[in-house]
Amino acid sequence: MAQAAPAIADTLPVVAIRDLHKSFGALDVLKGISFSAREGEVVSLIGSSGSGKSTLLRCINMLEVPDSGVVAIDGEEIKLRGTAPHRQIADENQIRRIRSELGMVFQSFNLWAHMTILENVMEAPLVVQRRARDEVEEEALAMLAKVGIREKADSYPAQLSGGQQQRAAIARALCINPRVMLFDEPTSALDPELEVEVLRVIKVLADEGRTMVLVTHDMEFARSVSDRVIFLHQGLIEEEGPPEQVFGATRSARLKQFLNAASHT
Amino acid sequence: MSEDLAFWLSYITNGKHLTWYASFQFTIFAALAGGMLAVIFGLAGATLKNSRFLPLRLIGTIYSSIVRGVPDVLFFLFFPLAFEQAVEWFIASQVCTPETIAAQSAAWPPCKEANWFLGTPEYLILASVSLGLVYGAFATNVIHGALRSVPKGQLEAARAYGMSASQVLWRVHIRQMWVYALPGLSNVWMLIVKATSLLSLLQIADIVLWADRLGAPNFLPAVGLVHDDWRWRYYLVLFVFYILVTLLSEKAFNAIMRRAGRGILSEAR
Repeated sequence: MAQAAPAIADTLPVVAIRDLHKSFGALDVLKGISFSAREGEVVSLIGSSGSGKSTLLRCINMLEVPDSGVVAIDGEEIKLRGTAPHRQIADENQIRRIRSELGMVFQSFNLWAHMTILENVMEAPLVVQRRARDEVEEEALAMLAKVGIREKADSYPAQLSGGQQQRAAIARALCINPRVMLFDEPTSALDPELEVEVLRVIKVLADEGRTMVLVTHDMEFARSVSDRVIFLHQGLIEEEGPPEQVFGATRSARLKQFLNAASHT
Repeated sequence: MSEDLAFWLSYITNGKHLTWYASFQFTIFAALAGGMLAVIFGLAGATLKNSRFLPLRLIGTIYSSIVRGVPDVLFFLFFPLAFEQAVEWFIASQVCTPETIAAQSAAWPPCKEANWFLGTPEYLILASVSLGLVYGAFATNVIHGALRSVPKGQLEAARAYGMSASQVLWRVHIRQMWVYALPGLSNVWMLIVKATSLLSLLQIADIVLWADRLGAPNFLPAVGLVHDDWRWRYYLVLFVFYILVTLLSEKAFNAIMRRAGRGILSEAR
């Protein structure tokens, strides 16, 4: 047990993004973004609406295909072909394999409404990863217990509160044993009191040393959970660093303005 | 009184009546087979309409817009005949020789060997396919609309977890589509049920044809007039039959809806 965990800075990047550009029609959303997340690192993306943070997150698992630039997971570059605006995924098998290791949590939960909570959590491990049912069920129930809704296993998503649904969605992401957890504003659709229960779960995962990329509006939470905070402004990284520095010793005037506005809402 | 009863018993169990009762199976078969084919054609049509490739999209759109506009009676007459003659034309091109063509006196088929005799089972299948094709065009529209009603986020989540396009389609998209499609499909089903009364157009001795025959004034040389024009009584029996089918269908659709809507409809809570 004496062996110390390797310092974050020494480990390989699990997510690496280089010079990402993306536009929707005439609107340039990402204008050349590079960043990486190392093993065990929690990276928060903050910025005002329209700054491109959600689009950036969705480019990691290619729900949005970038116009140019590179996304690599564990050093493996995701293959794309064609040129914008017809750029598309080049290798279906590769993207499915990579996606099956990225646990995405959506703002609007997106649980499959026709499946029970347990079926939701077991779906991807069974039909995508093709693991054995017994093992998956045991793990799924453990994950549901971990997020505190073990007793809701046989309910349907519509029967749960928003906070419970989002925790189920987190269990669904955990059950694929993801290399990286991707959170897209996971608490934006929740009432403040439900928000707390979801944030508590995410905090536990962060403390476990999971690699996470998190888009959030909650500055308090970003400060408490992140190893690194990235502030996006109009499709570019305006400032980044450890939370103490980004929030405590803000250099960029725009970030100061943004934080000021955020603390008054 | 008992003589009366004996008369009625023997009357409604005579050979013609038994054949009439048996002919209900044709109607039921045509409805079920036609309904199943309509859903299959509807799924295929809706998938074509959603295709990324323009030619396929065009086929789906043309199918649903053209066929919906053609009167079902016309299609019923046209399709089986066209199919039969096309097959005969193909056989003729294979088997007919100049001698056999010369020996043929009728105008069609070109030679006797190319004649394709169709009995009731064959016509029944052709009738079911016709029903499937006509009402599949309606089902195409219903299913196409239903596919668009499934929340996009759930399809996105399925993709984000690494499902293949066909897994997303079958495990999430089509599975949830039914809830939105069933009200429309139940309409289509009722139209199919109604259209089964057209079976006699294809020389199938169906329930309508028999009701017509049995209800007509009945005169036997040995007995005299058995009854005069009773057609309305026989048609009334058909009315009752179709109303029963309607009630049963409603029950069945409600059950299917509960099953398909589990978790999606608020009533399923």
